[in-house]
Amino acid sequence: MLAAGAVWAAGVETAFILAPPPAPWVALLFPAIALVYVATGLAAWLRRPSSALGALIVAGGGCLLLGGLANMGSPWLGAVSAVTATLILAVIVHLLLGFPTGRLHDAASRRVVAAAYAVCLVLETPRYLFAPGATLSIADRPDLAQVGLQVQRGVGACVVAAAAWLLARRIRAASPARRRVLVPLTVYGMLALLAIPVSSAMADLWGGATLTQAAVQLVAIGLVPVAFVAAASRGGFARTADLAELSAWLGADEARRPALDAALAAALGDPSLRLLFRLPDGDALIDARGAEVARPASDDRRRGIVDVELAGEPVGAIVYDAVLLDRPDEVREAGRVVALAVDRERLTASLRASRARILAAADDERRRIARDLHDGLQSRLVFLAIQAGTDAEPAELRAGLETAIDELRELVDGVMPTPLTERGLAAAVTDLADRLPSPITLQIQGLESRLAPAVEAGAYFVASEAIVNAVKHAGASGLAVALRRVDGHVRVEVVDAGRGGVDLDGSGIRGMTDRVAALDGTLTIDAAAGGGTRVVAVIPCAS
Amino acid sequence: MRLVIGEDQAPMREGLRLVLERAGFEIAATAADASELRRRVRAIGPDLVIADIRMPPGNADDGLRAVLELRAQRPELPVLVLSQHVQRQYAVELLETGGRGVGYVLKQRVADVDAFVASVRRVHAGATILDPVVVAAVMDRPRPDGDALNTLTPRQREVLALMAEGRSNAAIAQRLTITEKAVVRHASHIYDALGIAPSASDHRRVLAAVRYLLA
Repeated sequence: MLAAGAVWAAGVETAFILAPPPAPWVALLFPAIALVYVATGLAAWLRRPSSALGALIVAGGGCLLLGGLANMGSPWLGAVSAVTATLILAVIVHLLLGFPTGRLHDAASRRVVAAAYAVCLVLETPRYLFAPGATLSIADRPDLAQVGLQVQRGVGACVVAAAAWLLARRIRAASPARRRVLVPLTVYGMLALLAIPVSSAMADLWGGATLTQAAVQLVAIGLVPVAFVAAASRGGFARTADLAELSAWLGADEARRPALDAALAAALGDPSLRLLFRLPDGDALIDARGAEVARPASDDRRRGIVDVELAGEPVGAIVYDAVLLDRPDEVREAGRVVALAVDRERLTASLRASRARILAAADDERRRIARDLHDGLQSRLVFLAIQAGTDAEPAELRAGLETAIDELRELVDGVMPTPLTERGLAAAVTDLADRLPSPITLQIQGLESRLAPAVEAGAYFVASEAIVNAVKHAGASGLAVALRRVDGHVRVEVVDAGRGGVDLDGSGIRGMTDRVAALDGTLTIDAAAGGGTRVVAVIPCAS
Repeated sequence: MRLVIGEDQAPMREGLRLVLERAGFEIAATAADASELRRRVRAIGPDLVIADIRMPPGNADDGLRAVLELRAQRPELPVLVLSQHVQRQYAVELLETGGRGVGYVLKQRVADVDAFVASVRRVHAGATILDPVVVAAVMDRPRPDGDALNTLTPRQREVLALMAEGRSNAAIAQRLTITEKAVVRHASHIYDALGIAPSASDHRRVLAAVRYLLA
C-alpha cells in the first residue's frame, strides 16, 4: 500500500511537472529519486522487519516527494515544500549514525540526530518566514532570512562535524571486515551531505545555481539508499547486525534482561518466534514455563523449526514463522549465538522445576504428618483424657495409651525409619525387606561403615520407593535388590519381573529423580513394557 | 538384686528407678550415655543391666553396642534391652552373645508394671525374652516355599510364638487354655519340624527354635 501510494504520488508530481510549459528535466529527478528511496527502503524493510533501516529510507523518500512539491506550481504545495526542503539531510545523518539497523544505540548519536532534525526543521523557518513573496512569509525581511541562513549553516556544520566524529570513532572500533564496508559508506554519506550547499534550499536550486550542479546533487542523494542497503548486506552486517542486539542482551545483567525468547524474537523480527528447551533427559521440548510443546510437522510451510546445538548436543529449538523469515540459516545463526544461554537457561529451568517439586514434596509430607497426628494420635489422646475423667479401669487406660504409643512409633518410622537412623542403609533396607509379603533377593556389599546421613536417606528412599512400586505393580516375587558401595559411589539397584511400562512421569519417579539429582547422583530406569523394571541409582559418597 | 540402668531420657530413667525400687531391686547406678554405662557396669559388676538402645554419644545404637560389649566380656551378665522400636537384627545380635539371660522388649512394656518386673526376674534367672512385636514380625516374615515353618499348624505357630516371647510351658498352657502336656506335645512337633535335635535342656531347644525364627 505504501509502495502504491508512493508511486501514485510520484506519478502525480511528475504529471504536474510535465503538464505546464516544459519544465527543466531536473525537476523530474525529485519524484524519480523519491521512488528509488521508497523502493529500496521497502525492499530492505520486507527482508528484515526488525530493522528500522528500511523504514528510515522510505521516510527519506517521503521527504524528497514533499521537497519536490515546489515544482508543481501551486503556492501552498510550494509552502509544504519549503518547510521540508532540507529534511532529507537530517534523514541521511540519521541513516549514517543508525547504520546498520536504523536504531541509535547511544545517547551521543541520539543527540546529534535530534540536532540534525532541528537544523532542518526549526532553523529552516527564517528562510520562508522572512523571504520576500513566499507563501508563508510573515515579513519582508531579507536581512533576517540571511541571518537565519548563516545560523543554520553554522549549526549544521557543527552537527555534521559531530556526526563525522562519532562515525570515525565507530570505524576505529569496528572489525576489519566491517571497516571495509563502513569506510566507503561513511565517506559517501558525508560527501552526499556536503554536496548540498548548505546555503541553498531545494526549491532555489535552479534559480541561481546551474542545472547540472543541481542534477549532480540530486543524483548524489539518490544513490544514498542504494549504498546503505548494499552495505547492510555485506561485511558481516547481513548476518550479525541483528545478532549484535542479542550479544548485548547476553551481556546485560540478569535482573534487567528480558526473556531470552523475547530477545530472540526482537532480533529476528518475528514476534511469533518461540524458543524451546530440550530437557536434559529425553527428546521432549518445553517452553520457558516448563510446558511441553510439540514440534511443527515437517511439511508445515508456515512454521519452521531449527535445532539449537551446543558442542553437537541439541539443547533446544527455535520455532519461527517460515513465511516471515524465509532464511533458516539466519535463524540457525541466531541459535548459535544464544546456544550457551539456552543451555544455561534450560538447566536453570529444570533446576528450578526440581527445586519446586522438592519443596512441594516436603510440604506434602508435612501435611501428611500433621494430618496423621491430628486424626490419629491427637484424637486418641483426647479420648483417653475423657476416659480418665470418668471411672475407667487403669488397665483400660494403659491399653489405650499403648495403642497411642504404637501409632506414634509407626508414624515416626514412616518419617525416618529407626533402623536407618540407628544402623544405616543396609539395616534399613533389610528391615524393609523383612516386612514384605514374600522373600526377595537382597545383596549388600561394602556397606559395613556408615555413609553421610543425606546419602543414606537418599539411597534408602530411592530403594523403598522402587521396592514399594515393584510390589504394587509386579508383586514381590522375583524382586532383586542390590546395594553396593564401589569407588566412592553407592549403587542401589532394584529389579522386578513385572510387566514393566512404569509411568516415568509419575510423582514417585519424579521424586526419586529429584532426590538423586540433589545428591549429584544419577537415576536410570529401564521399563520396557513386558520386560520388568530396573531402577538404578548411583550416588557419590565420600569414602 | 543390684541393677544398673542406662537410659538417656530422664523421665524414663526415673520411671524405671521408681518401678524397680518399689519392686525391691537396688539401683546401684544409672547412666545417661553409653560410655558412662560401660564404666558403671565395669566398676560395679551388677546382677543385671537394663539399657536403652538409642543413646548418646552417637544417638544411634550406642546402648546396644555397649551391652553387646559387656556381654562379650561377661557372657553370664543378664541384660534387658529396651527400645521404642524393635528389630530382628538386634535380637539376633543379642542372642549371639549367648542365649541365657537376655531380654529385648519395647519401652512401653514398662507400663504393665507387674509383667515388667516379672520379666526382669526371669531374665535374671536366665530366660530369653523377646517382645511380642519382634516375635510377630519374624513369624510373619516372608519365607521361601520350602521353609519348615510353613509346615507348622496354626496352633503350633502360636505355641512357638509364645515360646519365643520367653513364656514358660505353664504360662503357654494357661494362655491357650490347653494342658501343659499338650504344650509339650506341640513343642516336640515343632522341634522335629525345625530339625532341632533332642538335647539335655529344654532351654537349649527353645533357644534353637528362636534362632531358627530369627535367622
